[in-house]
Amino acid sequence: MRRFVKRSDIGIIIGCIFVFLLFSIWNPQQWFNWGTISNVGQYTAILGLLAIGQTFVILVREIDLSVGSVYGVVGITFLGLESSNVSVLVSFIVAMLLALLIGLVNAVVVIHGKVPSMIVTLGGLFFYRGLIYVTTHGAVAGTPQPARENWLSQFFGGHWLGIENGFLLVLLLAFLSATALYQTRFGNHLFALGGDPASAESQGVPVNRIKASAFCLSSLFAGLSAIVTLANNPSTNVSLGTGMELQSIAAVVVGGTLLTGGRGTMLGTILGAFFLTAVRSEMIALGAPPSWYIAFVGIALLVIVTINTLLAKRLKAA
Amino acid sequence: MRTTDGAADSRQPLISIKNVSLSYGNFKALTDVSVDFFQGELVGLVGDNGAGKTTLIRIISGINPPTSGEVYFDGEKITKFHPKKAMDLGLECIQQSIGICDNLSVGRNYFLGREPVKRVLGLPFLDKKKIREASAKVVHDFGLRDTVDVDDEIALLSGGEKQTFKIARAVTFRNRVIIMDEPTNHLSVRERAHVNELAVQLKQQGLLVIYITHDIFQIHRIADRIVIMENGRKVTDVPRDAMSADALEGIIRDGGRAPSKGPKVA
Repeated sequence: MRRFVKRSDIGIIIGCIFVFLLFSIWNPQQWFNWGTISNVGQYTAILGLLAIGQTFVILVREIDLSVGSVYGVVGITFLGLESSNVSVLVSFIVAMLLALLIGLVNAVVVIHGKVPSMIVTLGGLFFYRGLIYVTTHGAVAGTPQPARENWLSQFFGGHWLGIENGFLLVLLLAFLSATALYQTRFGNHLFALGGDPASAESQGVPVNRIKASAFCLSSLFAGLSAIVTLANNPSTNVSLGTGMELQSIAAVVVGGTLLTGGRGTMLGTILGAFFLTAVRSEMIALGAPPSWYIAFVGIALLVIVTINTLLAKRLKAA
Repeated sequence: MRTTDGAADSRQPLISIKNVSLSYGNFKALTDVSVDFFQGELVGLVGDNGAGKTTLIRIISGINPPTSGEVYFDGEKITKFHPKKAMDLGLECIQQSIGICDNLSVGRNYFLGREPVKRVLGLPFLDKKKIREASAKVVHDFGLRDTVDVDDEIALLSGGEKQTFKIARAVTFRNRVIIMDEPTNHLSVRERAHVNELAVQLKQQGLLVIYITHDIFQIHRIADRIVIMENGRKVTDVPRDAMSADALEGIIRDGGRAPSKGPKVA
């Protein structure tokens, strides 16, 4: 019990139960509506995938501000290849390789260039967005009909027993990521690096390799998130993914992962993504204009992090 | 082969430092240092802040390569300096503030960097049972509180318990060299005595113990040999019985230039 209360994601677990019950009682018709469930599931998947990748990076005391633009550039590459009659499978592989390459570039500049990740990935945020504008001249074609019907598009964008495949995918990947974090040497090294880099290195933890893996995972998850988005909703524009980097960081932090690294859970991250998505959906259902969402993210961030901090202090004193 | 001052020994040294220098830009942290360390020896490495003790240890433990000079381990020249390589050779450095991650459990810290795995469906997963059982045994054998649960975060241990834990970890992984960097700083009198006792026990088990400290009187009681450094140079290297603690303190106080009392050393 003591360990349960000390979990870093205790705040978001309570928060999710609270909003779930609140919406169930307050507005059951719209909350238990099939359209709402589908929308919330799909957007939780998109934000959740980005946030899983971001969690790896934040756990090692770094940050990835480029994921919104990576999401955009990988998605647009995927679409562009499909429109040029490249098969969906090849488009997918090339797009994911691009994501991996971007992650490697981030890692190399941070590790060997010794530039803070906030600067490196801020550069990435502008550069990859700019690349989208330059290469598309501002116009992006939708997915051609045959590609939409392709099995891979259906795998990422379809649904199964009424549940969005993207949502099932994010649950599966969150589970695999959590397993990697808690049940493998990689995970132990990642937490050690985030907790105390000098100590981790003194015990022979390959710190550079672990950090590089975190950046690559972040980019790969951002790319996958874009592909899930486009497989489900085939029309887009050049602003694809704008602002998503900050939403992903918000989901991670609301989920209880500390920006100072070394402490956090994948469950918290997924619940963080669900929490932000559920409240947004409900606010819209209650008639608030969609633009309120971003203001709400700010409030939720402040409230939940303050609660987490107070809880942590009280537990330390006890 | 050049022998160290005062410690002429026909045995092959376990670690041999030959004419090592290290510069950070224009700053010379070490200048032409030569010193040998032997198996089964407890050597006190003493000197003021900035004398070069820690720099020397950083070279020995593979964190920094020397700018010039050579390092031999068990007669073999070290060409690649990396902490992992030093660990593989059986060398562990116990530093005051480094070595354990407060956010990990006692068991996970114990196996950090050497985690045992078991294969499930061909994939390597942490062997949590082994982590728990092996670390619990060590915690018990080294006299830590019985209430310490190896699944608890290590942050719950006291300063002395953390030092004891680090020593226990270093010893049980069959290390040959234990370097203790100011291991008794910030410890209570009783904890200090316990750590010093452990250092002597390790030496008696045949390990080489290099003990870095400011406290010449404390180290003079337990060391076999004392090496004094000053301004990046080795200024004294004598068997413990050759000089009194007071005389050694005089050397440190005078900055290694003119030993005021005791026998003159090279």
